[in-house]
Amino acid sequence: MFRPEDFIADTIANLKKTIPEKALIAFSGGVDSTVSAALVQKAIADNLIAVHVDTGYMRKNESKFVIKTMEELGLNYRFIDARNDFYQALEGISEPEQKRKIIGEKFIHIFENVADQENIQCLIQGTIAPDWIESGDALRAVIKSHHNVGGLPEIMKLKLVEPLRDLYKDEVRKVGRILNLSIAERQPFPGPGLAIRIIGEATPKRTELVREACDIVETEIEKAVNDGKMGRPWQYFAVLIPIKTVGVQGDQRAYGYTIAIRAVQSIDAMTCAFSTIPHQILDKISTKITNKMGAHINRIVYDITNKPPGTVEWE
Amino acid sequence: MGIKKDMTRIYVIDNGGQWTHREWRTLRYLNVDTKIIPNTASYSQLAQENLDGLVLSGGAPRVGIQDQLGNCAEFLKNANIPILGICAGHQFMARFFNGTAAPSKTPEFGRVTLYLLNSSDPLFQQVPQESIVWESHHDEVTNLPPAFIHLAKSTDCFIQAMRHQTKPYYGLQFHPEVEHTEFGEQIFKNFVHICSNYTK
Repeated sequence: MFRPEDFIADTIANLKKTIPEKALIAFSGGVDSTVSAALVQKAIADNLIAVHVDTGYMRKNESKFVIKTMEELGLNYRFIDARNDFYQALEGISEPEQKRKIIGEKFIHIFENVADQENIQCLIQGTIAPDWIESGDALRAVIKSHHNVGGLPEIMKLKLVEPLRDLYKDEVRKVGRILNLSIAERQPFPGPGLAIRIIGEATPKRTELVREACDIVETEIEKAVNDGKMGRPWQYFAVLIPIKTVGVQGDQRAYGYTIAIRAVQSIDAMTCAFSTIPHQILDKISTKITNKMGAHINRIVYDITNKPPGTVEWE
Repeated sequence: MGIKKDMTRIYVIDNGGQWTHREWRTLRYLNVDTKIIPNTASYSQLAQENLDGLVLSGGAPRVGIQDQLGNCAEFLKNANIPILGICAGHQFMARFFNGTAAPSKTPEFGRVTLYLLNSSDPLFQQVPQESIVWESHHDEVTNLPPAFIHLAKSTDCFIQAMRHQTKPYYGLQFHPEVEHTEFGEQIFKNFVHICSNYTK
């Protein structure tokens, strides 16, 4: 079995040996980076600096939530608003691997800058097993380049430390629970954020649409879970498909984009089954999205693909 | 018999599969002393480790039917311990023992029903005749090697599981190491049992 208590003790002891004085952590506020930060903090205390980057592709109110988390943890942190940088870098880019690589490179560039200013030689990342497995290596095919692996330069200036490298999400959650972290149960959110939940070019305008749609899907599903109408899926969100179809709204022709609802059941993201959301809940989500964004969205579809052959995210 | 050890030791030979690390995790959860070893390791290296068993992982499309899979042939030729070939490892095992493997007419991905043909086999103890397994393959074993017994099938893939008649060698087309395979952990438990009770 996996014993989180042993893992915590071994990891802290190892971190004390491997981290050269100060370190910087790439802090998204998700389960993996928060658990990593808590472990490193136990090893080197205030010599850890958390860096959170607002890429512009975060969920609704995410940055506020992340700042709250960093403050609750008592982390020494830097908040970097890089929204315009990321939007500009992704202008005209629609190929998913290219998007992921550009985002990964942008991240590392920002971290290197902060490290330079603060005289830090070590970068901590919350990389977990599926991140490096799916990013490929000499023996393994690339499924998708995870931002924390695929964006790394060949020659790293910073020493890379990844305390959760051999763990899967369910194991990270177990560690998080022992550390009393409230984020332990949070659903996963990919590093490249909403940029990979927009098929094609991830423009600021499309980002607003998918951000709103993701929020509706999350809110409605969480409400249904709390009312006992369904079990909590492992992950649940919306994807914007910029394909236009015809509709009718108020005796008028509509011609707008499509939103796909995605929800899956898994423990480790290596295999997934699509969740069976009750039809009334799907109906609620569908009506909410089209009523709120009817000018842009007039069709909602539900993704019924397992992994394999699909993956959880669409890009 | 080798040196006495507390734990059963089974290594995973990495043929580049997406789920190689999941095989390692499943074994670790069963308290097995395990490690992932690249398929380029030599047999003599492995022989020094006093192993109780080997798992040959899956890999990318066509590697099981075309490639040498590193030194997998050497392991199959020389090892006197139980071996479990999964996906590409299973296809390679079939080729090594003069069976054939080729692109599937209907590749299978995700949820599939497995039908056991011989549920009394030690590898399938406490696994029902019909169960859900998770698949991910473009290729499959098309002719059973002469020295093998056919153990399981699915609607679209006839040879889902096989076993050597006299050696403790097993091949599985489906993936017992992933969460969504209903009795995957039981199959691994059975394999660990086979390994720890095998007299070299």
